[in-house]
Amino acid sequence: MEFLAQIEQSGLAVWIRESPSIFAYATVLAIHTWGLALIVGLSAVVALRTLGFASGVAFLPLGSFFPLMWVGFWLNAVSGVLLLMIDARLFLTMPTFYIKLLAIALAITSLRLLRNEVLGEGSGAGKTVASAKGKALAGATLLFWLVGVTAGRVTAYDAYIGWETAGAVLVLGTLLLLGGQFGARVLRGGGRAERATMSTFPSGR
Amino acid sequence: MESFLRYILRWPILEQFIQAYAWVWPLAEVMHFVGLALLIGTVGLFDLRLLGVGKGLAVAPVRRLLPWGVFGFVLCVTSGSLFVGGLWANIAVHPYDVLIVNGFLQTKLIFIGLAGLNLLAFSLTGMSRAVDAIGPGEDAPPLAKVIAGASLFLWFGVIYMGRLIVWGNLAL
Repeated sequence: MEFLAQIEQSGLAVWIRESPSIFAYATVLAIHTWGLALIVGLSAVVALRTLGFASGVAFLPLGSFFPLMWVGFWLNAVSGVLLLMIDARLFLTMPTFYIKLLAIALAITSLRLLRNEVLGEGSGAGKTVASAKGKALAGATLLFWLVGVTAGRVTAYDAYIGWETAGAVLVLGTLLLLGGQFGARVLRGGGRAERATMSTFPSGR
Repeated sequence: MESFLRYILRWPILEQFIQAYAWVWPLAEVMHFVGLALLIGTVGLFDLRLLGVGKGLAVAPVRRLLPWGVFGFVLCVTSGSLFVGGLWANIAVHPYDVLIVNGFLQTKLIFIGLAGLNLLAFSLTGMSRAVDAIGPGEDAPPLAKVIAGASLFLWFGVIYMGRLIVWGNLAL
C-alpha cells in the first residue's frame, strides 16, 4: 500500500491526474478508447466473419489486420498502466478491475487460438466455412470482450451498481440476440433467389 | 428557438428512469463503447481495405459487414440520446447549456455530420459503385482512398472529441 501510494504521488501520476490540460488525463482516456476500438472492433469483425456473417469475405487476408489489433492492444496496455498509476490503491483493491484483466487475458487467448484455427497455416486456405472449434472460439472472443468492456466501464461505479449493470448488459444482450435471430428469420422468409442475396446473415449451417 | 430547444432536449421521463435505476447510465455507457467498437471494426476495416491494408480481400464481400457498423451506430445514437435527454439526472445541467458552450460536443457532432457527408460523397461520386468491382490484390481509385482516409480521421476524431466532452463544460 505504501508503495502504491508512492506511485500515485509520482510526478507522472500527479501530472496526469491533476493537470488541467486536456492532453493529460482526458487524452490518456481517449487513447484508451482508440485502442479499444482497434483491438475489440477488429477482432469482433474477425469473430463475426468466423461465425458465418459476410461469408464472401476470405479468411486469410484478414490476417493483415492483426498487427493493427496489436497496436490497439499496446496502446491500451500503456495508457492502462498510466490510468492505473493515478489511482493505484483504488484499482488494485477492486474485484471489478481483476475481472476486467482476466476477461482481457481470456479474450486475447481465444483470439490467438481463433487465428491459428481459422487463419493459420494448416487451416486450409480458401475455405469459406470455419470449423465448429473456430466458431466456438469466435463466440468466446466476443463474450470475453463484452465482459471486459463492461467490467472496465463499471470500475467508475461501486461494486453493487457494477453487478446490476452486468445483469442489465446480459438481459439487453440476450434480447438483442433473440431479436436478431427473429429478424434474420423474417428477412429470410422471401423466395430462394431473395434468400441468396441475404448473405449478411449466416445460413443455418 | 432557445425555448423550443430547451423544451425538446430535456426528457423528464428519461431523467426519472435514470434516477430510479442506478444501472441505466452505466448500461448506456457500455452500449456506447460496444457500439463504437463495432462501428470502427467494420467501417474502419472497410476504409483500411480501400487504403490497401488486407489487399487480398475483394471489396464487395467486405460491404456485407457494414450492417454491423450500422447496428453499432444505432447503439451509439440510442445511448448518446439518453446521455443528452437524461443529462439533468446525472449532473443537473440542462443539455441545451452543454450544447451551447461545449466545444468538444459541438466538434463531435460536426464530425459525425461530416462523416455523413463523406458517405454521401462516396455514393454521389460513384465511388461506392466503383469499389465493388475491386478484386483481391487490386487498388482502389485515388478518390475512394481519400474518402476512406477522411472517414477514418473523422471517426477517430469523434471518439477523441467524445472523450473530451466531460472536460468541456468547466465554464458552467
